[in-house]
Amino acid sequence: MGICNQLNDSASYMHNSLMYRPLMHSPELLKGTLQTILLKVLQDNGKMYGYEITQKVKELSVGRILLTEGALYPALHKLEAEGLLQTETVLIGKRVRKYYTITVTGKSLVKERVIEFREFIKTMSAVLQVQFA
Amino acid sequence: MPQLTTEHINYIIKDLHYRGLVYEPLQNELVDHICSSAETEMEQGKKFIDAYQEVLKSFGHTKGLRETQRQTIHSENSMFKAMLKNYLTIAMRNLRKQSFYSVINITGLAVGIASCLVIILYIFNELSYDKFNAKADRIYRIDSEILFNGNHLQMVTASAPMGPAMKEVYPEVEDMARFRQEGTILVKRSIDNIRETNVVYADSTIFNIFTIPLISGNPKTALVEPNTLVLSESTAAKLFPNDEDPIGQTLILDNRHNFKITGVYKDIPRESHFHFSMMLSMESLKDSKNDEWLSHNFVTYLLLRDGASAQELEAKFPKLIDIHVTPMLKQMLGPDVDMDAFLQAGNKLDYTLRPLLDIHLHSDLSNEFEPNSDITYVYLFGAVALFILLIACINFMNLSTARSANRAKEVGMRKVMGSLRLHLVNQFLMESILLSIFSFLIALLLTYFAMPFFNDLAGRQISIPWTNPAFVIIIFGASVLIGVFAGTYPAFFLSAFRPINVLKGNMALGMKSGLIRSGLVVFQFSISIILIIGTFTVQQQLSYIQEKKIGFNKDQVIVIQDAYAMGDQLQSFKDEVLKNSAITNGSISGFLPVSGTNRNDNVYWPEGADPSQDNMVSLQVWSVDQDYVPTLGMEIMEGRNFSRDFPSDSGAVILNEAALKMFNFTEDPIGRKIATFGGGMGANGKPNSVSFEVIGSLKDFHFESLKQSITPVALFLRKSTSRVSFRFQASDTQGVINTIQNTWVRMAPGQPFQYTFLDQAFGKMYDSEQRLGKIFAVFAGLAILIASLGLFALTSFTAEQRNKEIGIRKVLGASVSSIVMLLSREFGKLIIIAFILSVPVAWYAVNWWLESYMYKVEVGVVVYLLAGLASFLIAWLTMGFQSMKAASSNPIDALRSE
Repeated sequence: MGICNQLNDSASYMHNSLMYRPLMHSPELLKGTLQTILLKVLQDNGKMYGYEITQKVKELSVGRILLTEGALYPALHKLEAEGLLQTETVLIGKRVRKYYTITVTGKSLVKERVIEFREFIKTMSAVLQVQFA
Repeated sequence: MPQLTTEHINYIIKDLHYRGLVYEPLQNELVDHICSSAETEMEQGKKFIDAYQEVLKSFGHTKGLRETQRQTIHSENSMFKAMLKNYLTIAMRNLRKQSFYSVINITGLAVGIASCLVIILYIFNELSYDKFNAKADRIYRIDSEILFNGNHLQMVTASAPMGPAMKEVYPEVEDMARFRQEGTILVKRSIDNIRETNVVYADSTIFNIFTIPLISGNPKTALVEPNTLVLSESTAAKLFPNDEDPIGQTLILDNRHNFKITGVYKDIPRESHFHFSMMLSMESLKDSKNDEWLSHNFVTYLLLRDGASAQELEAKFPKLIDIHVTPMLKQMLGPDVDMDAFLQAGNKLDYTLRPLLDIHLHSDLSNEFEPNSDITYVYLFGAVALFILLIACINFMNLSTARSANRAKEVGMRKVMGSLRLHLVNQFLMESILLSIFSFLIALLLTYFAMPFFNDLAGRQISIPWTNPAFVIIIFGASVLIGVFAGTYPAFFLSAFRPINVLKGNMALGMKSGLIRSGLVVFQFSISIILIIGTFTVQQQLSYIQEKKIGFNKDQVIVIQDAYAMGDQLQSFKDEVLKNSAITNGSISGFLPVSGTNRNDNVYWPEGADPSQDNMVSLQVWSVDQDYVPTLGMEIMEGRNFSRDFPSDSGAVILNEAALKMFNFTEDPIGRKIATFGGGMGANGKPNSVSFEVIGSLKDFHFESLKQSITPVALFLRKSTSRVSFRFQASDTQGVINTIQNTWVRMAPGQPFQYTFLDQAFGKMYDSEQRLGKIFAVFAGLAILIASLGLFALTSFTAEQRNKEIGIRKVLGASVSSIVMLLSREFGKLIIIAFILSVPVAWYAVNWWLESYMYKVEVGVVVYLLAGLASFLIAWLTMGFQSMKAASSNPIDALRSE
């Protein structure tokens, strides 16, 4: 049940442009995992800025998940507004760089989300009768 | 890693701006992102411009950029709950900080809403009349209009045979029921009589037409047999207090007739145009089977079939009337008079169908079951409700914009900090909605406490429908709506400030930007003045009616009802009572010059001439005794009163001025004779006639409401035993009542003793006007109160704004009075403008209302001046208090801080 809710929930901030460039993974399959990805990556790597996050995700997924800017920034701003992320800006010459870090509330949510996702994989494995590696 | 140069970065910033990326929090971030991305591309040897294009492509160019921006703003704002909470917190804080203005706002709005609510409930109550009938939209009443020899009658009654004939002839009439008003009767089971008002004869079909459920008895048979009756639940409870079963019991009516009870019906709802305490079967009434098409005594209701058109049915009436009435006309007026000739002589015999649902608010004809209400009251009160609400809302707007000076800096700061206009509008709307909701809560409380008083004033029994979900939803919806309505203007006014101007202090706000505000104050006071003038006029007209020379002396007369219960002893009862020295005169007659007493009319013509359409006069024929004229204090102009010394007076008549005019007897009336039909045909083939000699002329006196003119009246020396009137001396009213009551109880044990005073009965004719006057006065007072409240707050605000100015003026030697003048002058001007604007409107409205009166008071200039003066005084007192406070304060306090 929780998974379904989460899927529906996440669908609300999706928009038409492709969220992930599908090298391998179809966007439909990845829908609803964006927040989890962002929060987990930020938890594991401390403070990061937007471009850095896309690069990190690309690296972790061996190029299979490419976050588009059109999905990334709305999601980041939403997470910030919800108090799950906090930001600091650093002036680098002419450029202003905005770093995101995860808040305490964000951290507790990550744990939940990851557990939820693991349960989801298990369920899918049972439903599809396939043993995941 | 190659680094972008400053020119590159500037180019990117400019280009992105050009592409419409303006949302600052996102802008910086995207610039950084694009720079980083481009640097990566350039690492592979691309030139800057190619790398930039490549990155843009991944964003989806301009469209993608804008979409990203839109999504970002949207996802931030979708934190609706958090924002709402924030708005709410700030709003609460503001209200608390400005508690003086908040209290004034909330009080004004609450009083306004409460008044409005009371009036709306009243209007809904008015509109709900007769709707309890399941077939209400198919029920019609036959109204008749008769114009005959200058006598104009508009009645709710039709002739006895008309209803049954219509049901027989017209297929679209599904059913028909008639009522015949019987008025008051005496009812007893064995010994004691009880007086029952609102008694009617009714056809057995009423249960098919009206929704009057029977608690016991069978609606199909209850009123079919002669000498049967049905009782209302409360009448049954009165007659059978010990839970006995009334069905099958016998009642004795007027000491003579035995009627069997065949049913008990649920009390007719309050919102009905009739409330019968008992209904007797129409079969018991011989008249109901007569064939007299020109005698109008039966209130007739038709139930039309689904989809039948009342207009089309009405169009068929003249033919039916022609068939039945022509023979009667020929018999009455001669063989050569048929319907066409009758109508061509300027007469009228019209029948119309009035929808049941129109009766309560639109019908004001003769012989109504009960006095109805009037649609003009609904409009009038609706307008008053709207005005009061407007005045309250205007207070709100004025105070908000006036205070804008204090909040302008806040607006400027918010905007500088990145607040969008939408956010500010939301914030201000939230504040006003909050105020409005508070006001509604208080208003509901006020309404709860005020409702009993209003019911008392309006003679209603309206309750607040707390449990009705529609009511709750409407109240909540209205509170939000009024909040939005009252808050829209300040919200857009304030949020439009340009931060640069506000923060620099360039904007001179407060009292100066007040053209609209002044307009609104003028509007408020115009309405107040109109309401005051209206109130004065109603009061004046009412006292005019009470004081006017009505042609008889209504004071110090006591009327004993149902005197016929005394039977043969009535004369000795009168003689016995007259032994008391405080009682000067007594007269036995049911005909009194107040409405609700006996009436009877007949046609007469000057003796000697043949009766024709031209010389027949319809007269009120009143049966009186020799003491009638002195007891009621009427004035004989020529000739004499009836006298016991002249046995021939049984053939005499006394006419009033209006009657003399109709007979053309104005010169020397005494000794002339008038004649009327004596019944049957004479030997010469003409109808028999009897004649009466005029022995006196009577000064005109009013006997119906002053809305009607005086019609011809003739007094005859005949028996009419339904009432006895006594004129008594002023000293000891209670003693007089006791004397009469003791005599009554001794001579007529078991008969109910009921009395009224003539002046009270007279006052009752103007009941609805009295109520109108009082209600109007109350709401006018409230309107002025709310307007003054607003003015009070505005003045105190000005005084506060000009605190320093006043201080400096005082230091330089200004007197208190000159400062009070200074502060009051501005609003004083507005009040004068309001007065000038309101006078023509009030004049028009007042004349419109007075039009419905035949005899009306002249509303002098004094009333207008008085109203203007009153509002000016009220306004000046409100302002004066604040101005005095400001003017008499120590200038040190105002100036110390700088």
